[in-house]
Amino acid sequence: MDQETWKLVLAYVAEKERNGGRNLEVELLEQDLKDWAGNDPDRLEQLEQALHLWEDTATLHEDHSWQESFASIKQQLEPAKTRTIKKLNWLTMASAAAITGALVFFVFKNQKQQPVSESAITWITEKAAEGKIINILLPDSSEIWLNAGSSISFPKNLKHAAIRTVKLNGEAFFKVKRDPAHPFVVRSQNIQTRVLGTSFNIRAWKNNQPEVTVLTGKVAVSRDSAGKQSVAVHLLPNQQVIYDLKSNRLRCLNVEDAQASVDWRVGKMYFDRTPMEEVFQTISRKYAVKIISDQSFDSCELTAKFNNVSISEVLRTLALTFNIHYTINKQTIYIKGGKCN
Amino acid sequence: MGKNNMAGSNDAQEQVFDEKSFEDLYRRMYPTLKKYAVYLVKDREEAQLILNDVFISIWKNNLIPANEKAYLFRAVKNASTNYHKKARVKLWHIDGEDETPEITDLKETPAQSFQNKDRNRMLYALINQMPERRRLIFYLYRIDGLSYKEIAALLDISVRTVEDHLVKGFQFLQQKVLNNKSEFR
Repeated sequence: MDQETWKLVLAYVAEKERNGGRNLEVELLEQDLKDWAGNDPDRLEQLEQALHLWEDTATLHEDHSWQESFASIKQQLEPAKTRTIKKLNWLTMASAAAITGALVFFVFKNQKQQPVSESAITWITEKAAEGKIINILLPDSSEIWLNAGSSISFPKNLKHAAIRTVKLNGEAFFKVKRDPAHPFVVRSQNIQTRVLGTSFNIRAWKNNQPEVTVLTGKVAVSRDSAGKQSVAVHLLPNQQVIYDLKSNRLRCLNVEDAQASVDWRVGKMYFDRTPMEEVFQTISRKYAVKIISDQSFDSCELTAKFNNVSISEVLRTLALTFNIHYTINKQTIYIKGGKCN
Repeated sequence: MGKNNMAGSNDAQEQVFDEKSFEDLYRRMYPTLKKYAVYLVKDREEAQLILNDVFISIWKNNLIPANEKAYLFRAVKNASTNYHKKARVKLWHIDGEDETPEITDLKETPAQSFQNKDRNRMLYALINQMPERRRLIFYLYRIDGLSYKEIAALLDISVRTVEDHLVKGFQFLQQKVLNNKSEFR
């Protein structure tokens, strides 16, 4: 059947459905089609077939591909709504307990069959002590390097979770095992990072601006306040997002060398106009020392690169740069004097 | 065509919904909406993230406009536009991962579906063989009941192009069915 006739057929059936029956327009179109077919049995058959094709494409056969997709978001829906319902269940249980123990047992059994709630998950926590960097292999074969003074928690059953959720305090580099059906989510200070299989660095120290830097693959980052996420910002390799706590916005920028963001793994330290307060925090974590300095000095900024050198070399550099005096007493460093350049 | 008249932009009426109807909405919208998202961002994983973000925000606000179809397609389109803005940089291939966006669906071969003699199933197996845009237009039109005009706006193409794709799509189906007449009815 030629294109013009197909256009007529489509106009005819659409018009018919739209009006739920007949009107002048429908009748005119029908006449056009009859004129085209005439008494040609072949054409009449084609026309009939065309109408069958229309009807037989009206619905989509039952397809279950949506279920897997839906399962991946279902878990994220729980906190928004079911929490209150869960509490009710517990109340019901409490009153049931007052009546009969057997009933409690029954309710409890039912409760168990419900989707695992947040509280039922067994979390495992790994911590990198100050002065130490540790490497962790998660149950799903994802790899994590944890910077000194950071900790990470993950569910014991991570491998079987619909969404692989982990919690981070501090800084870590992730190499996530690719598994598109089970997104990997990192919850950290103020932000949530979602990936399917990539490598990236998250810097989320308390009281500092969180940063996520992507090395490979794609990453979605959203703000997270009290379990509510903002619209996600999507990052590609060599891109970085910084959560500006003052303006409460996610700032996306291109970085020259994302690899530099994970050089802490080999003991390097980079500072780029970093406030001294933050510099001292980084140094104390890396060398497991305590730094006590003049408060006035904290507002200075440092731009410097350190390879994996000793603490005394770092201090010598600082002494030259800011004209400070320092004394070391066991694991405590006292800093005196100094002025910004 | 569809009962949902998308032309009216009356978003004022909103409905509150429960888990069941949310799941229902997801199930109904998934086939076409996912294809639409993949079409826009050319990446299945990214499309999935966008789709999920849209649905999660609906859930969190606990209401959707009465005109749910129009709303959902528009939301996916907006999210994709934002994605493109963010991603307007060179694509880097470091690990050789994400080499080429994979767009085609895994599908049964027509021969397999001939065997189960299910006309509808077999027709959609054929529709899934169409070029991506044509297939998407077919879904938007036939499954979601959008008009030529609405489809044209969603895909940023002309109404005439939409019609052309549909006509060619139906022609293709008819051709295939004629060639395999013995398998039908």
